Amino acid sequence: MDFLNGVINSILRGYFAALSWAPAGISLAVISVLAGIGMLWVFGKTSKPARIRAVKRRVQAHLLEIRVFGEEPAVVWSAQKSLVAWNMRYMGLMLMPAVWMAIPLSILLIHLEAFYGRSPLPVGRATIVTMAMRAPLNPESAAPVLRAPQGIAVETPGVRAIDDGQISWRIRPSEPVSGSLSFQVDGQTIEKKIEAGNGLRLVPGMRVNSLLGSVVHPDEPRIQSPSVGWIDVRYPDGSVAIFGIELHWLIWFTIISMLAALLLKKRFGVVF
Amino acid sequence: MIRWIGLAAFAVLLAGCSRSTTHAAGGKKMIVLGVDGMDPVFLEKHWDALPNLNKLRHSGDFRRLGTTIPPQSPVAWSTVTTGMDPGGHGIFDFIHRDPHTRIPMSSMGETTAPTRTLSLGPYRLPLNSGSVRTQRAGRAFWQTLGEHGIAGTVIRMPANYPPADCEQESLSGMGTPDLQGTLGTFSFFTDDPAETRTTLPGGYIARVKVNKGRAVLSVRGPENSLRKDNAVTSMDLVAYVDPTAPAARFDAGSEQIVLRQGEWSDWIHASFRLIPGVKSASGMFRIYLQQAHPQLRVYVSPVNIDPEKPELPISTPSNESQTLAEAVGPYYTQGIPEETAAFRAGVLSRAEFLTQSHRVLSDSLKMFRYELARFSDGLLFYYFSSVDQNAHMLWGKYDDDLLEIYKGVDTAIGEAMAKAGKDTTLIVMSDHGFARFDRAVHLNTWLMREGYLTLEDGAKPGEEELFGHVNWSKTQAYALGLNGLYLNMDGRESGGIVNVAEKEQLLDDIAKKLLAFKDPKTGENVVDKVYFPDTAFKGHNLKYAPDLFVGFRRGNRASWQTALGVVPKETIEDNTEAWIGDHCMAADEVPGVLLSNRKVRLDDPQLYDITSTILAEFGIANTSGMIGHSVF
Repeated sequence: MDFLNGVINSILRGYFAALSWAPAGISLAVISVLAGIGMLWVFGKTSKPARIRAVKRRVQAHLLEIRVFGEEPAVVWSAQKSLVAWNMRYMGLMLMPAVWMAIPLSILLIHLEAFYGRSPLPVGRATIVTMAMRAPLNPESAAPVLRAPQGIAVETPGVRAIDDGQISWRIRPSEPVSGSLSFQVDGQTIEKKIEAGNGLRLVPGMRVNSLLGSVVHPDEPRIQSPSVGWIDVRYPDGSVAIFGIELHWLIWFTIISMLAALLLKKRFGVVF
Repeated sequence: MIRWIGLAAFAVLLAGCSRSTTHAAGGKKMIVLGVDGMDPVFLEKHWDALPNLNKLRHSGDFRRLGTTIPPQSPVAWSTVTTGMDPGGHGIFDFIHRDPHTRIPMSSMGETTAPTRTLSLGPYRLPLNSGSVRTQRAGRAFWQTLGEHGIAGTVIRMPANYPPADCEQESLSGMGTPDLQGTLGTFSFFTDDPAETRTTLPGGYIARVKVNKGRAVLSVRGPENSLRKDNAVTSMDLVAYVDPTAPAARFDAGSEQIVLRQGEWSDWIHASFRLIPGVKSASGMFRIYLQQAHPQLRVYVSPVNIDPEKPELPISTPSNESQTLAEAVGPYYTQGIPEETAAFRAGVLSRAEFLTQSHRVLSDSLKMFRYELARFSDGLLFYYFSSVDQNAHMLWGKYDDDLLEIYKGVDTAIGEAMAKAGKDTTLIVMSDHGFARFDRAVHLNTWLMREGYLTLEDGAKPGEEELFGHVNWSKTQAYALGLNGLYLNMDGRESGGIVNVAEKEQLLDDIAKKLLAFKDPKTGENVVDKVYFPDTAFKGHNLKYAPDLFVGFRRGNRASWQTALGVVPKETIEDNTEAWIGDHCMAADEVPGVLLSNRKVRLDDPQLYDITSTILAEFGIANTSGMIGHSVF
């Protein structure tokens, strides 16, 4: 999983490096269009256009039936039943392509969250770093130690939440930083990437230990220590402005990718 | 505790007003800085340390500025707002009383609950809107400016809650309640068994249980006016105290904060559920980790109205508070943001109070700089509370600390001078000065000793509030508020016994005795002057006016107990509280200041002259009820 995540992250880093000159809205628009095209391609490969066309014709026919025979309740009732049935069939035909599309799309969206969903820490603004152990803490044991790179001040001692098995610190960047926090736990050093400053970049979310967790938090390799569950830095939410309108990036992604798919579906011979 | 504003306010109409473009002021520009409590004697003593104020007096003018009777901030600033004396605008104290019941109420704002509601299970849903309205009569000067097409920005004018309905940009100041509807209710959480108090003036203390370092602090929100039982809402703040390190983490909803012992948090946004999933009230507060070990001691500030989601009308236009928050970050919306109540209660030390107080000033300076930078036309009025609130706690004893606050304001004045240049009139003024508050006078006890107030048979003087044991059938006069003395009038007060024919003679008798009242400890007079509203004021809006105002001599002030209708044992005693400076004395004893970059030509300028001056600068004559003249 770490390998796959690493490959995807590398590709995305390359993409964003190529578009580093552009505002976030442009890179998002380009990737949304590409995603729309990708979805069309997957849809084209996994759907049955002839059957979809036939089902759509049936639906249209029953709609026409309702309009023409609107004065005859028995006919309208029968047409409505058929409409429901054919709509169910239509959705059934959409199901398989949707499942096929969902897999790559989910992976893409999870990875894009690190670029658009989080902003690097603004310089001068404090945030909280939390490390969660896999078992409750022993208050008698020494607390883990956090070391921060140059430009990040660790402002408080680690605060241990005993039963929750968590240790939290307050940190504050004094300059733009792209580095790693180091945690000393049970004689082992564990790192967590940290980003502070401006500009679009990969802002890694939670670093996790479990395999399942690494699917949802793919930005860094899994933690190898058996005692640490996850490490998280609280970043501000990101947002993307296009045409001066600031919205959550997923909304822009949905709008642009759907528009692209609608505009290009004929070219790809896709029916939906 | 007195509830200044009813909590039904959550169903009110937001009294915002639409914004329309005002015309240019013909190039005329004016900046007025209101520095509450800036004292002329203190300035004269510290000119060298206040370079900008010193420069301003040399390049322009410096005068004493006559204050109001009584010299209390809501009264004085209402005069600045309207250009009327208290007899015109009708504000006579921080508190008025319902003449019929003698129950105190806010003199500034009045909240009315919805009159029609729909009962639905435990809920009571409003079918019409309630209202929040100001008690102040008269037009605010920026309303008049707006009517003449002059742009005005008025930030934190005291006694302007809810803000005067207008098209100008304004933010309400002193008198703006916290989310609980009070002038500021702090909370303090501890597991210290030695702390046995639960309620204090201006706050409450809650005992918490710390289990393996975890404690749940239930921060009180507003009463839920949508519930039939008006249950108090709350929000859990979960504290995790490290077993050894002097630090703790606080989880408030989705927000997390880590504090070292002795640190204040930034603003924490809070949401208090009124109807789960449907309606909640937004607020914000700051926390202070006073101590982590051996006992947990956490101070939580009053829950302020969130300027980004205001539950009550605090600005015009109604979204102005949000615009300001976007520009300068979250800020105190509570009318009196300095934590004087906690300092008085001994919950915060002087050093802790000063830290918080400097943060208030720093936030205020940030907002001031934002407003100053965008000021280009018409009028900018900006109010600073810090000098007044700090002088109350530092006056005469901690001059160096107070001077630091003055210096902060001096910096702002320097920036305003630079912005003003030669083409903008700059006025720096205060509503009153300051004096020591050494002796606390229990006016009700004095009235009792002089035979004007009688307790019920068998009752003894004590700490009962709101005239708990007063026999009204044998009482001719009572005191409430900080300067007011009322007769127990037949037909006005419930069970009143003084008839109109007796009134004048009775007041004369009380006045003579007050003027002869000597402090048994010092042998000096306690009262310098007494004032009668019909001769002291030009205006006749005297519905809530006391029958007599007591002008204490410097060093004396009505006790806190007097303000709440208490009849303690002693008539006068040493003020042993942390609140050591005050101004609720004879008006002549505590004049304010007037500085300007222009020469002042008016002899003996008064607060109401400032209003006339502002209008005159833009070529506008006094409006109805205004009694002042331009000082230039």
